[in-house]
Amino acid sequence: MEHKINTYEKSRALFERATKVIPSGIYGHQGPAEGCFIPVEAFPFYSDHAKGTYFWDVDGNRFIDYMCAYGPNIMGYNDEEIDEAARRQMEKENCVTAPSAVMVEFAELLTDTVATADWSFFAKNGNDVTTLAIMTARAYTRRKKIVFFKGYYHGVAPWTQKIDYPGIIEEDVANNIYVQWNDFAELERVFAENRGEIAAVISQPYMHGNFMDNEMPADGFWAKVRKKCTDEGTVLIVDDVRAGFRLDLAGSDHYFGFEADLICFCKALANGYNVSALCGKEFLKNTVSGMSYTGSYWMSAVPFAAGIACINKMKRLELPKLLMQKGTMLCDGLKAAAAKHGYDLRVSGAPSLFYLRIANDDSLMTHQRFIAEMVKRGVYLTNHHNHFINYALSEADIKETIEIADEVFRVL
Amino acid sequence: MTDAKTMAYINMFGVLGALPMLCKLDGEASALLTNKSPVSLCLTVRGGPAATFTFADGGCTMESGEQKCDIKIPFSTCEKFNGMIDGTVTPIPSKGFTKIGFLTGPFIKLTDRLSAYLRASESDLADEAFFRISTELMLYVIGGAVAAIGNHDTIGTFSASNIPDGTVHLSIKDGPCVTVTVRDHVLTAAPGRNGDPRAVMEFADIRLARALFDGKVNSMDCIGKQTITMCGMISMLDNINRILDRVSVYLA
Repeated sequence: MEHKINTYEKSRALFERATKVIPSGIYGHQGPAEGCFIPVEAFPFYSDHAKGTYFWDVDGNRFIDYMCAYGPNIMGYNDEEIDEAARRQMEKENCVTAPSAVMVEFAELLTDTVATADWSFFAKNGNDVTTLAIMTARAYTRRKKIVFFKGYYHGVAPWTQKIDYPGIIEEDVANNIYVQWNDFAELERVFAENRGEIAAVISQPYMHGNFMDNEMPADGFWAKVRKKCTDEGTVLIVDDVRAGFRLDLAGSDHYFGFEADLICFCKALANGYNVSALCGKEFLKNTVSGMSYTGSYWMSAVPFAAGIACINKMKRLELPKLLMQKGTMLCDGLKAAAAKHGYDLRVSGAPSLFYLRIANDDSLMTHQRFIAEMVKRGVYLTNHHNHFINYALSEADIKETIEIADEVFRVL
Repeated sequence: MTDAKTMAYINMFGVLGALPMLCKLDGEASALLTNKSPVSLCLTVRGGPAATFTFADGGCTMESGEQKCDIKIPFSTCEKFNGMIDGTVTPIPSKGFTKIGFLTGPFIKLTDRLSAYLRASESDLADEAFFRISTELMLYVIGGAVAAIGNHDTIGTFSASNIPDGTVHLSIKDGPCVTVTVRDHVLTAAPGRNGDPRAVMEFADIRLARALFDGKVNSMDCIGKQTITMCGMISMLDNINRILDRVSVYLA
């Protein structure tokens, strides 16, 4: 059976309206430019509603969604258990002068769940807590410099951006040092050249950067980095905003067998309710306590209640294992479909956060045609970003995805 | 925000680098060189670029570096060379005094013609043929500027350091194209569709290209509306776009 080819008339009309009142119509990673919609005509722009592993666009097209809102959807859109917890909290209170008691419950639960955590600090977006982590490291060490691994993404604050980005000045990034992922020798050299000056090493748990095959840590890499940071008095920060809870509920540092000093969470923390968290070790708690860092909605109670329900459900289900199984089933099927038609589909990263690349040509144009044809047939993938698995994704959804891939590889 | 050396490379390989295409596209420019003895002109800048232009048979070619020439004009600094382009410095040849008439005659007229296209007035642009040549030449100047900035500007070299090897086509649909080639993070630009592109950025038509060059439309809107299309190695285009941002700083 040939699958229906989507069209997007209403999305396009809405975009025309949007460009008049919203810069670039849709800004940021969910827009056609940063989102690498190639070609743009293959992609929907606006959603109408969502449930489970699907969303429906404004033209009525249904998508099996492998982006999961770029991570937050870990249990399925509109998960009834989590939404019910949020609704109950909403009936009691949300954004109030005094923080809700539920904040303490959430902090206790998160601190019990995350291996390295002795405390939790809540905000809204991942960037709120990666920035807090950097400020904490600088305040604690009284040093300026930060080491990044090339291919990183830690948000959009000026310190996370690069010198050639619009609006960034040299001073914003003057204390940034960039080293190659998995290159411990380079990291050692950087420490030697900047003795006593490095406040923090910040890293994702593995290299899940965009535009590149994702790369796991080399054997012993994290143990060596951990020891080096300890020896040098440098704070080790893990940015687990993207991978958090899809590898290990105790934190991705725990998954890879080491302990971060600070670990940042957001995305999957509350299944789409907006909350982020910085968790850390006891020795940094006083430093964080003394910082001037807060926001209007950071203590809203509803996301805390949703977060409690989400963590409890993830624990009950032993979720990372399930997501890995689903991801493996999907990726094995996609690779087999590709191979059947003579395509070399490379899958990298953790199966629950799989990254795809068709390696038949080095321009990636074949890959982009594949992704476009999948999206046009109702499987929402992106070109150059890792994907996300959620609990609501069923075996039937995976089977349908692989059938569509088989059709796409046939017509490509 | 800008430096004289990068500007000198832009002026040499972007602005003057458009002379060969000017002679191909514009009959009036070509006529200035028709039925004249061939002349070669070498411009060298201490601590900066050098190029040799040969004018013959109604056309012009350019070679990078100091080549055998009839006329040589050395510049002691990038600032002085940039001054010549701006019209504030009078060039003094060190060789070729017998050919000085070429400099004061056809060459001046040729560069004036180039300026007319690159700094076109609204009334000139009302003429369709003039508009097309002007916009096409701008595309080539921008291509040359991208290479100059990627190779010499402090921020531009940072962007170039993130560009993988390969060929990029910056093109106008069914129209002109400039090819940017990257090897070991060194950029070169040339008119035309050269080689198999690893990435392509294409403008829907020449009017849109002009509006983009003049900063009259938003490129992000255009991507959403599919009047700018991109494909291939987006990391190449992403970093070239960052260099393009710098072009407007230098050529504003």
